[in-house]
Amino acid sequence: MSEAFSLGENEVLRVVDLEVRFYTYAGVVHAVSGVSFYVKEGEAVALVGETGCGKTVTTRAITRLIESPGRIERGMVLFRRRNKKVVDLLKISDEELREIRGNEIAYVFQDPTSALDPLYTIGFHIHETVTAHKSKISRKETLKYAVELLRKVLIPSPEVRVKNYPHEMSGGMRQRSVIAISLSNMPKLLIADEPTTNLDVTIQAQILDLVRRLQGEFKMGIILITHNLGIVAETANRVYVMYAGKVVEEGLVDQVFYNPQHPYTRLLLRSVPNPLRRIEKLESIPGVVPSLINPPKGCRFHPRCPFATGKCIVEDPPGFDIEKDHKTFCWLLEKR
Amino acid sequence: MGRFIARRIVTFIPTLIGVLLLTYMIAYAIPTDPVRAWVGEKLLNPETLERVREKYKFNAPWYEQFTFFVQQLLTGQLEDPVRHRNVFTEIYSRFTVTVEIAVIGFLFLVAIGLPLGVLAAVKKDSPIDFAVRVMALVGSSLPAFVLYYFLILLLFVYFRTTYLAGIPNVSLACREFISGIPNSVPVLGNVVSAIGSVPMFGAMMCNEWWVVGETFKRFYLPGLALGLLNGGFIARITRNSLLDALSSEYILFAKARGLRKLTVWKHALKNAMVPVVTVLGLNFGGLLSGAIIAETVFNIPGIGRYMYESITRLNFPVIIACTFLIALIYVTVNLIVDILYAVIDPRIRY
Amino acid sequence: MLVYRIFKSLIWLYAGLRERVSPGWMQKNSSRIREWELMAYAYSKSPVGVLGGTMVFVVFILAAIGPFISWEPYWEYKIIYDESLRYQPPCLPPWCTDRPIFGTDEWGRDVAAMSLYGFRISFVISIVVVLLGAPLGIVLGLIAGYKGGIVDEIVMRVTDIFLAFPGLVLAIAFASVLPHRIRGFLEENVVARTVLSALFGLREKEYGQLAALISIWFAMVIVWWPGYARIIRGSVLSVREMPFIEAAKLSGLSTWSILFKHILPNVLSPVIVMMTFDIATATLFAAALSFLGLGPQEPVPELGFLISKAGQFFPERSTHVVVYLGLILLTMALGWNLLGDALRDILDPRTRRAIEYREEKEKKG
Repeated sequence: MSEAFSLGENEVLRVVDLEVRFYTYAGVVHAVSGVSFYVKEGEAVALVGETGCGKTVTTRAITRLIESPGRIERGMVLFRRRNKKVVDLLKISDEELREIRGNEIAYVFQDPTSALDPLYTIGFHIHETVTAHKSKISRKETLKYAVELLRKVLIPSPEVRVKNYPHEMSGGMRQRSVIAISLSNMPKLLIADEPTTNLDVTIQAQILDLVRRLQGEFKMGIILITHNLGIVAETANRVYVMYAGKVVEEGLVDQVFYNPQHPYTRLLLRSVPNPLRRIEKLESIPGVVPSLINPPKGCRFHPRCPFATGKCIVEDPPGFDIEKDHKTFCWLLEKR
Repeated sequence: MGRFIARRIVTFIPTLIGVLLLTYMIAYAIPTDPVRAWVGEKLLNPETLERVREKYKFNAPWYEQFTFFVQQLLTGQLEDPVRHRNVFTEIYSRFTVTVEIAVIGFLFLVAIGLPLGVLAAVKKDSPIDFAVRVMALVGSSLPAFVLYYFLILLLFVYFRTTYLAGIPNVSLACREFISGIPNSVPVLGNVVSAIGSVPMFGAMMCNEWWVVGETFKRFYLPGLALGLLNGGFIARITRNSLLDALSSEYILFAKARGLRKLTVWKHALKNAMVPVVTVLGLNFGGLLSGAIIAETVFNIPGIGRYMYESITRLNFPVIIACTFLIALIYVTVNLIVDILYAVIDPRIRY
Repeated sequence: MLVYRIFKSLIWLYAGLRERVSPGWMQKNSSRIREWELMAYAYSKSPVGVLGGTMVFVVFILAAIGPFISWEPYWEYKIIYDESLRYQPPCLPPWCTDRPIFGTDEWGRDVAAMSLYGFRISFVISIVVVLLGAPLGIVLGLIAGYKGGIVDEIVMRVTDIFLAFPGLVLAIAFASVLPHRIRGFLEENVVARTVLSALFGLREKEYGQLAALISIWFAMVIVWWPGYARIIRGSVLSVREMPFIEAAKLSGLSTWSILFKHILPNVLSPVIVMMTFDIATATLFAAALSFLGLGPQEPVPELGFLISKAGQFFPERSTHVVVYLGLILLTMALGWNLLGDALRDILDPRTRRAIEYREEKEKKG
């Protein structure tokens, strides 16, 4: 495992060998086992995988948002702050972490309705987020700022909406409000966890457009979690494919989509139906996602892999380079 | 918001009419001739009986009787046939006593239940959490009157504390001030005056705080008992509600936004309070019931005793007035709880 | 564990009987039987539940046989013969052997013997009130919630009116006016008199007091049903919109079938828990009404009534009566409360999953 243990010049985040476990009554769940990735300034990185593959846990672990019975066992999360200082988010003090959260790293959660406190207005949410990090701002000023933010995320009549409560808005507007709240301190990194899954398809497109534009405007790095490959193709620069708590393939979007090397990636791409072609039956990947309480030894995909060899059953494959920026974790690539 | 309040008050009225009807039906169910009991054995002769019957319209059909009683009730003229005094002046002082006990019980309840609930949530699965659970179970299994006797045993016999006799009340000047309020402020003034007629609240309005102190000293024993009995239950509700709030997405989002710990707690507590307020409102009826039982044990001249005496004497008008008044207070408290609920939770305001 | 095996054999007994009546039943309901086994397992693993269940069982036995094994008849006023027998303090052998262990009451009767009658009275009243009041409220709530419209409005208005009174106040009002009527009814109707007296373990001679007891019963049922109606109606309103109800409607099921076979099972679990807790509440409520003087008077040894009498001599002479009878009431209510607490955990699918895991692990390990 030859990972870089320092932050590259134009990198804003680098996660190294992250391991997260959950100690439940049913046993120890190995949710994330040795995941590494990085995000460059201004680029959009996608984390792709089925439900339960560990994408959400990984991103929450970045700012130590994991709560009991979960525990971050080991790893490094290197982050370059606004003042150019590089810190390991897993090791800094609680107070410093609090300064970074919502300020330099922001989150957008999957369900906008439950992310908002139903007893407070949108404007108040923004006011809170701003004043948590900048002390001397008056309510009037944050109100004006909030209206501007809401306008930026394309919410009509923002002066009215800023005083609305969450239940007075539609799903799309709520999600846009959540984006506005997250962006209120102009973070360097935005982590968006399936931001459009709960929305109508038409709204999805709008939100994605929005996110792309704002990314350019604020020069933010984005980590986008999704299981929708179409969104990945539209929005991301690079992609990491995850399975059962590990990264199985990583690379530029074009590379992974046009030249997938890991059997899982290939099966995944094949299962997306082409609306222009007539198909007899839908492709799926046979088998089930393994239980992470006792993950299979060796390569975690081997029980479902049509090309599994003897070695796959016993040993966990390391990363093998395919081309520049394109790597996969599969023994089939060893011959080269 | 004003519209919400108005709407709630409007639905209040048919309920109130129904309450009147039910009260009347209850009293009407007494089969024996109440008039005999009212007049008493000494004056028992046909002319007196007939006169009293005329006065209360017993010879008229039932709907005339009903309207007569409602009229008397609402204009405050209902007369106690046994004591020959206006029912409302009789009820007045006794009723405020029962309310005071219930209110003091409520204060103890909140003071005991809420902090314990928060503590149990913070120290989940600790001995404190377990103790709260036990307290809730025992509190709802212990008969109130037994606890009253037990506390008497403990506090009077072993610790030799004393308590006052008599009912503390405010000065005459204060009473006149309170009854004068409706003259200066129309509708709201009546409400304020009604609240102020309870000595405790009246004292607060007139700045005669020593009366509040005296009232506490008089009634702290049943109040404490009520707080202990129901406190465990409230603590459990608070605990569960707080745990629910703390594990919700908006709290995670609040942490992800880098809000200070205190701010995050503020969010959790405010949300947790919503169901707790509802339960407290529902519990108030239990507090009133507990207060009524306390009157028997502590020999307090409250409305429970009054009702019971009038029941044995078939004192028809008093029964109606008492039941009606209690229902009125209870419905009002529920209304206040609903409004409070809407203040805290904007989703309710439709 | 012993408890688990007892329940398991009960389950299989029941299954065997059903199978006898309609062959093939066991096959069809195998998953339901498995559910019951899991619930029995979860119950046996809960110390609170087993404790509560045992307490309830003991109280039940005492209530059933109490009036038969009591060594002193309640209708004898011992103090007529000997004044000094009133409120004798408790007396423990071997230090003292000439008086009853727990002392005597106002009329010189052995408190422990009286409590055996008391168990029967309190137990029967609490159970029957809930078993009558709850279904009444449930049915009304089902109809109101499902039909909606004017039926709903009327039922809701009526429940609002009843709920406008604190329970005790309403019960006081009803319990005070009903005895006259009921006494009349009991005078004429011999069958009712015999049956009801036997039910409460009293002699027919005391039908006057029985009338007071029945009035408390009626008053409590009247107070009890609105709560259930409200809650069930709320549940029905949320279940009503679900797709599977629509499917049932489309497949032509009658309203009653839908109500009882589809909606009711879905709203029933919390109601069962509520009923268990309510039995505890009803026990204390009935005792409170008697305490206030609305229930049977002497010689009937109703627990609340005996305590109220003792209250007049408290604390100089009658502490033992209050403590002993108070503990009895506490035990009766506590048993049901513990049981309800355990049932709530068992019927909650989330906690049940945790217990399932433990069971499987135990089976393997």
